[in-house]
Amino acid sequence: MDHQEYIVEVVLENKPQARDPVGTTIQKDLLAKKGYNMVSNVRSGQYLRINISAANENEAKKMVNKMCNDLRIFNPVTQNLTILKVIQKN
Amino acid sequence: MTIKIAVIQFPGSNCDLDTLHVLNNVISNGIEAELIWHNHFKEAQFDGVVLPGGFSFGDYLRSGIIAAHSPALDEARIMLKGGKPIIGICNGFQILAEAQFLPGALLRNDSLKFICKWVNIRVENNKTAFTSKMNIGDVLAIPIAHGEGRYYTDNLKELEENNQIVFRYSTENGELTEQANPNGSLESIAGVCNLEQNCLGLMPHPERASEPILSPKQTMHGRLFFESMVEFIKGRVS
Amino acid sequence: MPKVLSNGDELDVDLTEPEIKQIKDLLERAPTITEWGMFDVMHSEHCSYKSSRPKLKLFEDAEKNYDYVLAGPGQDAGVIDIGDGFALAFRIESHNHPSAIEPYHGAATGIGGIIRDILCMGVRPIALLDPLRFGPLKGNPHSQWLFKYVVKGIADYGNCTGIPTIGGEVEFDKSFESNCLVNVACIGLGTIEDFEHAPSKAYNPGDYVILMGGSTGRDGIHGVTFASRTLTEMSEADRPAVQIGDPFTKKMIIEATLEAVKTGYVRGLKDLGGGGLSCALSELTGDGGTGGDIDMSKIFTREPGMNSFEVMLSESQERMAFIVKPEGLETILDVFRKFEMAHAVIGRTDDSKVLKVKDGDYLVVNLPATALSDAPTIPREEKRPEYLDELIAQQTPEPIKGLEEIIYDLIASENICSKEWVYRQYDHEVGVRSVVKCGEGDSGVLRIIGTNKFLAASVGINSKHCYLNPYEGAKGGLVEICGNVIANGAKPMAMVNCCNFGNPEIPESFWYFSNAVKGMADFCKQLRIPIIGGNVSFYNEDEVSKTAIKPAPVIMIVGIIEGKEKIITLPFKKTGDDILLIGETKAELGGSEYHSVIYDLEGGTSPHLDEKKIKATWDFLFELYKKNLVKANHDVNKGGLMITIAEMCFKNNLGAELDFNGCYNDNLRDDEFLFSESVGRFIIETPPKDYNKIMEIAKHLNVNVKKVGNLIANPEIYIKGLKGKNIKLDVNKMKKLHEATIPSLMEI
Repeated sequence: MDHQEYIVEVVLENKPQARDPVGTTIQKDLLAKKGYNMVSNVRSGQYLRINISAANENEAKKMVNKMCNDLRIFNPVTQNLTILKVIQKN
Repeated sequence: MTIKIAVIQFPGSNCDLDTLHVLNNVISNGIEAELIWHNHFKEAQFDGVVLPGGFSFGDYLRSGIIAAHSPALDEARIMLKGGKPIIGICNGFQILAEAQFLPGALLRNDSLKFICKWVNIRVENNKTAFTSKMNIGDVLAIPIAHGEGRYYTDNLKELEENNQIVFRYSTENGELTEQANPNGSLESIAGVCNLEQNCLGLMPHPERASEPILSPKQTMHGRLFFESMVEFIKGRVS
Repeated sequence: MPKVLSNGDELDVDLTEPEIKQIKDLLERAPTITEWGMFDVMHSEHCSYKSSRPKLKLFEDAEKNYDYVLAGPGQDAGVIDIGDGFALAFRIESHNHPSAIEPYHGAATGIGGIIRDILCMGVRPIALLDPLRFGPLKGNPHSQWLFKYVVKGIADYGNCTGIPTIGGEVEFDKSFESNCLVNVACIGLGTIEDFEHAPSKAYNPGDYVILMGGSTGRDGIHGVTFASRTLTEMSEADRPAVQIGDPFTKKMIIEATLEAVKTGYVRGLKDLGGGGLSCALSELTGDGGTGGDIDMSKIFTREPGMNSFEVMLSESQERMAFIVKPEGLETILDVFRKFEMAHAVIGRTDDSKVLKVKDGDYLVVNLPATALSDAPTIPREEKRPEYLDELIAQQTPEPIKGLEEIIYDLIASENICSKEWVYRQYDHEVGVRSVVKCGEGDSGVLRIIGTNKFLAASVGINSKHCYLNPYEGAKGGLVEICGNVIANGAKPMAMVNCCNFGNPEIPESFWYFSNAVKGMADFCKQLRIPIIGGNVSFYNEDEVSKTAIKPAPVIMIVGIIEGKEKIITLPFKKTGDDILLIGETKAELGGSEYHSVIYDLEGGTSPHLDEKKIKATWDFLFELYKKNLVKANHDVNKGGLMITIAEMCFKNNLGAELDFNGCYNDNLRDDEFLFSESVGRFIIETPPKDYNKIMEIAKHLNVNVKKVGNLIANPEIYIKGLKGKNIKLDVNKMKKLHEATIPSLMEI
């Protein structure tokens, strides 16, 4: 089967019930103080863009999920992993 | 005359007391240094200002970025224009770079780790408000303690032409080597100044290198920064 | 686990049936669900010390028996008076279980907790020390992962709060593979007045109760009961117990608290740790002999819809409770406003001796203030493990390789090699106090600005020795840690400890604990060292593999050096100087690095000691210090005396000519002499002209002192006078091996 190159965009962030001091500080000490009162909440995270060769989109997604879990690229105890997008590279 | 120096306390500054100790107890010599909470700082009352090291606002988002929006920096901008001396040490340097008082940016160390150790820096420019008591080529023993101190600029040529590079990391003998560059800074740059040379930012900590008892080789090169500042202020007044 | 019911709510509690009955009898009614939760937490092993309390009674009452001890065991931290109007507070505790699951935040919040303990004594935290234990790194990605992120967690939190990490210890052993040990210690410095301003009790009716700091969320509910259970395969699911550290908020809490204490309007202070608000409030009022009236609706929460159970038992980080004099309320609130710290006046103290918490019209807590602190104790069985006799009988094999090769292997081994990779990541200089920095001495030495005094601090234990003999092992640990501060010129002033053991319900595990406590108590009584605090962490046991950790009664000693000229450092200084070995070397290779690295053996005869000889050795060193006769000092421990000598050569790139002829007993083998870990020994550098003077003092005090050689400029160590052939070691090669081990395992 022919493999294609995909780009998988991944975001790691603290679970909703876990605190995120970085996001809180950006909202409270920067945005609110500079007048952006319409912002009620900020959450921070890490963004990864992974180029991967796979048979199809689904497999690319699966492999990224697996590697992130196996290698503890995120810690499931405190963080969630979300795959934002999978793009096929031309 | 009494020289009044403000040491600004941002939320999360942690070298504020150390800097105050050195200015008042070690240098003294006519200096009256005072801790000022960042929201309370009024530039007109002071002859010079120190932005001390630490982790302002936890270094969340990016080192120095949130403090760069503090009202203290608006006051400092007036001082800058008025020609008064401003020094940013470590986190203070990061704040000055984020506030665009100084060119360039401080990125994560090459090793991706925080590094605390004594290094050597070579003096490249002794015309600034903080280096007049040094000679070009002098090597100073001084500690660093930072996670984001890798200097970067996309305007190196202009910096060189304008003589804005003040210190480079070097060996004990003043050679520039990869090994002597602790964080991977561009061209081993450890400190830079503005065009007018009254504002200096550097990653190493002069306040930790001002007393022989704290120095591995009983040096006190850190004093030169503050003594130069005193001389500069006296020169401005007279 | 038994279930309790209240108003249709149901709760699993870790209480026994007799405890449940006792609680109902005491109240003469069924507790509310929140009260059940409070009893559950306060009766947990972690808060109540129900297994350990009967044994900890062996520690003598430090406050009564030592006039310079201001606060002893049972307080948030021990406090000593060091003269010139200054007080030092210190404490060590464990954060093992959370760190095993989430090493980064587990270690970070451990640092956060210990800082709070020191802060609530009213003094500024000025130093951190971290004894850590993991499985071996080599070929073990899980241990590497834990090690990397524990160190990073400590570094990020400590560095950000501006408290230097001035020391610590790392031990690698298979028994810590699934239960790593993360112990954290903190030292605080303040004036006696600061300390007096901040007792951990609310003794005056009518004062305001203020909650300051982070908001109360659902994180960490039941964190304490979690620390009182063994780690199982379920650990990943124990998620609510994991906390996220916020060092920036902590830094602001430190500054706001210290500024508030300085106003003189604070009458009591308590950090919120295990058990959250319920624990803090009941201890404040219970210990102060008052009661309290708390309005739960005033407590600021992070999420809407939290019930009283969640609010009262939340263990959200970065919170402090203040008891404030009525006339000072506005002043204190202004301080909190300046630092933009969230705060709320949540109630007042009264003379009812009852703690009442209202949620609207509903009284969710209505308990006698002392009810929670009267947790029962549980007598535990103890039994000496059967495997010990066989282990102790293990003999040292005939050396399988040359002595030179063995020394090179030892210096590169994980337990002996340089820990620079760790301490470079810690800001160990912030505060401009660090005089003897990491790697330059056996302990960290800080100056106390405004005096001519210096403090020296060291932490550690040899768990391999304790495994073979917990009684002698704990004593040996004290000798070594006291030896570390003495090597830097300090007199040991006080001790705190952190006892890490397996499941106390297993008689063999409890036997280890019981004997280690007895060893510490006996030694400290004889050598006159006050024990001013302790922490116990049980259940460090893998339920799946049924293995407990090696016992680790970690010891911390703080000593005082009187004057700058009295500070001694580790590196050899001058060519031609004498090298002296102090103390007696016996065939004690049980639990040694030599056994473990070269033969993969855990057994043998471990070190035994004689307190009188230890005392004489210390007296001898202080006598030499008084006369300024010692230029370098390093205690002999892991790996034996050649490792000690090599480490002293590194910094100034010196070498040595050694002659061991007549230095050891005829019935000792060469390897036994070189690699023995007999405790209470030191290597010192002294000027040759003072040799006779020194030997006279040694004779007078009846201390075993042998000149073993001289320093030379050439960085090589020549050894003759062995029973076997002469050997030669390359100092630069040893140094490279010493430095390379951890980076080569971690930087991949």
